[in-house]
Amino acid sequence: MAGVAASPVTAAVTVLDHGDRHAVTEVVVDPGQQVFPGHYPGFPIFPGVCVVECVNLGAQAAPPVAGPPLGLVAVESTRFQSPVFPGDTVKSEFDWVADGADWLCKAQVHTARGRAAQVRLRYRPVETGA
Amino acid sequence: MTAVATTVGTLGLAEIKKVLPHRFPMLLVDRVTDLEPGVGLTAYKAVTANEPWYAALPDDATDASYPRVLLVESWCQAAGVLVAWENPNPDVLTGQVMLFGGMADIEFTAPVLPGSVLEHRIRLMRALSDTVIFEGESLVDGEVVLTVGRVVMAMRPASELTG
Repeated sequence: MAGVAASPVTAAVTVLDHGDRHAVTEVVVDPGQQVFPGHYPGFPIFPGVCVVECVNLGAQAAPPVAGPPLGLVAVESTRFQSPVFPGDTVKSEFDWVADGADWLCKAQVHTARGRAAQVRLRYRPVETGA
Repeated sequence: MTAVATTVGTLGLAEIKKVLPHRFPMLLVDRVTDLEPGVGLTAYKAVTANEPWYAALPDDATDASYPRVLLVESWCQAAGVLVAWENPNPDVLTGQVMLFGGMADIEFTAPVLPGSVLEHRIRLMRALSDTVIFEGESLVDGEVVLTVGRVVMAMRPASELTG
């Protein structure tokens, strides 16, 4: 099953909009997410890397072009602006920009309280072999 | 003043838990060696298919690589040990807490599979009054699998999280 990978985020990704090199996706961070008991005991906060994973899962669900799957090869930059808590909805709005054979995903991440993060990810088509 | 750095010995799980608030399943550092306060450290994490991230992976999935964002999390926790070593606060509700401010130029250069032992190399680039910046890389069997250009951690009052 190509495209299926292990992930710390088990919540479903919903694609709200998927246009020409632009997409909006969201993940409802239910309190049952498996990361919360350990991050942190008695005070659950959605890990920053899981916010990045929400963008990654959204990017995989709303790729810029049809074709071979894209693999995450770099986090170009990320700036965390506010925490994400159990029950929040993480909404990612992103633009795809071609860079040679690579694709850059430039995302703004929001919750109901405002900006949560700015994330820029780099993807490369995965060689699926013969 | 002396120019001779003091290297702390190996830290096991109990010592790591004294300085980090992370717990199962999000405690992603198993052992720390060569800790030089204010300079850097080496840390190890064994990757296994028994981690919960693999629970939902179908048996016929062809990609068994460790989640890339968790490679970053594990590396950052190792950096957190260096920050917290001198001022440990394994409570996230009081005092000064360490927040993940941001990162740049993180490259994943090879997949990491269950059975691998990650070797994280952490170097402190710059320490300001409330912000610490790190760089480094991670290796598996001598091969670089992750390069970290810059990770920023900020010390903030816990009230910024608890409101």
